[in-house]
Amino acid sequence: MKLWFTAALIALTGAVRAEVLLSADEIEQTLSFGPWSPSFHSDPSNRVSNNARAIALGEALFNDPVLSSDGAFSCASCHDPEQAFTTPEARALGRVLLDRNTPSLRNLAGLRWYGWGGKSDNLWAASLHPIIEEQEMAHSPESLKTAISESAYIDDFEAIFGVIQNQDPELVLVNTAKALSAYLETLVADRTQFDDFRDALERRDFPAAAYYPEAAQRGLQLFLGRGNCVFCHNGPRFSNNEFHDAGVPYFLNETEVDEGRFGGLNFLLSSPYTLDGDWNDDPDKHGAWAVRNVRRSHADFGTFRTPSLRGVAETAPYMHDGSLRDLNGVIRHYSKINTDRLHTDGEAILLQLNLSEQEIADLVAFLMTLSKASY
Amino acid sequence: MIRSAVWFMIWSSTAFACDEIGQRMTSEVQNAPEVYLSVDEIPLAEPFSVLVSICSETTVGQMRVDAIMPAHRHGMNYTPKVSALGGGAFRVDDMLFHMPGLWELQVDVDINGQSVFYSSKITLK
Ligand code: HEC
Ligand code: HEC
Repeated sequence: MKLWFTAALIALTGAVRAEVLLSADEIEQTLSFGPWSPSFHSDPSNRVSNNARAIALGEALFNDPVLSSDGAFSCASCHDPEQAFTTPEARALGRVLLDRNTPSLRNLAGLRWYGWGGKSDNLWAASLHPIIEEQEMAHSPESLKTAISESAYIDDFEAIFGVIQNQDPELVLVNTAKALSAYLETLVADRTQFDDFRDALERRDFPAAAYYPEAAQRGLQLFLGRGNCVFCHNGPRFSNNEFHDAGVPYFLNETEVDEGRFGGLNFLLSSPYTLDGDWNDDPDKHGAWAVRNVRRSHADFGTFRTPSLRGVAETAPYMHDGSLRDLNGVIRHYSKINTDRLHTDGEAILLQLNLSEQEIADLVAFLMTLSKASY
Repeated sequence: MIRSAVWFMIWSSTAFACDEIGQRMTSEVQNAPEVYLSVDEIPLAEPFSVLVSICSETTVGQMRVDAIMPAHRHGMNYTPKVSALGGGAFRVDDMLFHMPGLWELQVDVDINGQSVFYSSKITLK
């Protein structure tokens, strides 16, 4: 009945005047989750990055079935702009049922790795692979060139990239991906209640910061403290953009496993579309150091890229295989994580937290404030 | 412990100038030449560079750099790039600490044909 009582009190006093519960150290750590939104830097590897025409063409192509070989579906069929650029299925359903959950496509500009296994080191490559992936859009460079030539987009395409007939089919593919990437770069999650809290703390405006619910503050304290969450979910995107084993089983069935980062690196290192390759438009190849220097290790097996937690309340279900239905389920997963199942040779960070019901609710309350609307 | 004897001999010779900038790295080897690590603020999960100066009169050969998180049993996900600047100084690029906490930066230098191990503790917030 305590909940009732607080609710009644809130109703009576109008606004809640809680207090800031964080210590000076926790405040300092909280500042590192911002500011938001990040400033935009155009992508030097993509010569049409930040080009208004390319952005418009990219958006149109993203929503049009012309990018699938049989015209059956578009990128938006899985990455629905009305649903935070994902869909609620556990695993993506295209031509066939895929092995993985569809990620939201917001906040992707400037990352070091893309995909659950990090098979791309740049956003245009991550936009290119689904076009030719047999289980997704299933185009060949040749069929794509024909489809674009015969589509309503040919004038826009040629205005940006020149006469299509003079372009090798592979160049048409890369150009198409670069237009898509120019569009995807513009997708940024909205500011949230958490950002108002964080900015108030930065200004030392504690009365304003105190509007942030106490439950969320306690959740944040767990996130920074006993939960160890901040080891992997850090920075303004709440992700270190590296690969970890969060204790989600990676068996697909009795005989097959999802190789995670291990497979992602195999793919990456044989791909012609990396920042170290010829399709990079940046003569200085900024960012290519990562693909050149990345280390391989058997501990990569079954690790996945730490997902961003911005807007996370809008993108259920969770984890690379969509196996956890809601945020409550995710927190319960971490609370009771089976440490025997974690890599024996892997990192020792995740422990059974054995959270109380109150603590679970607090962590969920915190995660909810990372989305704009309350869901 | 043969190594310490070697170092003793080297160190008994005259001192000389070198860039004593930054944090002195520690070595188990007694009387090992001083090594300094200079680094600006380290960004979390973003690449950064460090300078390593080896204060040795004798020839400094190759240097290898790595870093681990002792508490978490893991190292870096990237191999850093080491460039010799001459005079016992090295620039190390593409270091990346992907987690907050205590890191141990490790340097292995070939000095006078011997490989000497140094380390420094760095706490990243
Ligand atoms: C059948 C559903 C489906 C379709 C259609 C689809 N995607 Fe995806 N998309 C996914 C899944 C699943 C992943 C995660 C793949 C992985 O990591 O292995 C993904 C990942 C991505 C990523 C990487 C996101 C990240 O967080 O790193 C980008 C970018 C992307 N898709 C863009 C596109 C574009 C552009 C199209 C259209 C050309 C498209 N997708 C079509 C399901 C789909
Ligand atoms: C060791 C690094 C690490 C730590 C520590 C960690 N996470 Fe994660 N987190 C991940 C990875 C990796 C995934 C994706 C796992 C997968 O799909 O197999 C993930 C997934 C998630 C997701 C699902 C996001 C989505 O879009 O599917 C949420 C929510 C989440 N973590 C919250 C937390 C919270 C809360 C904590 C602290 C209790 C925490 N994490 C601790 C690495 C970590």
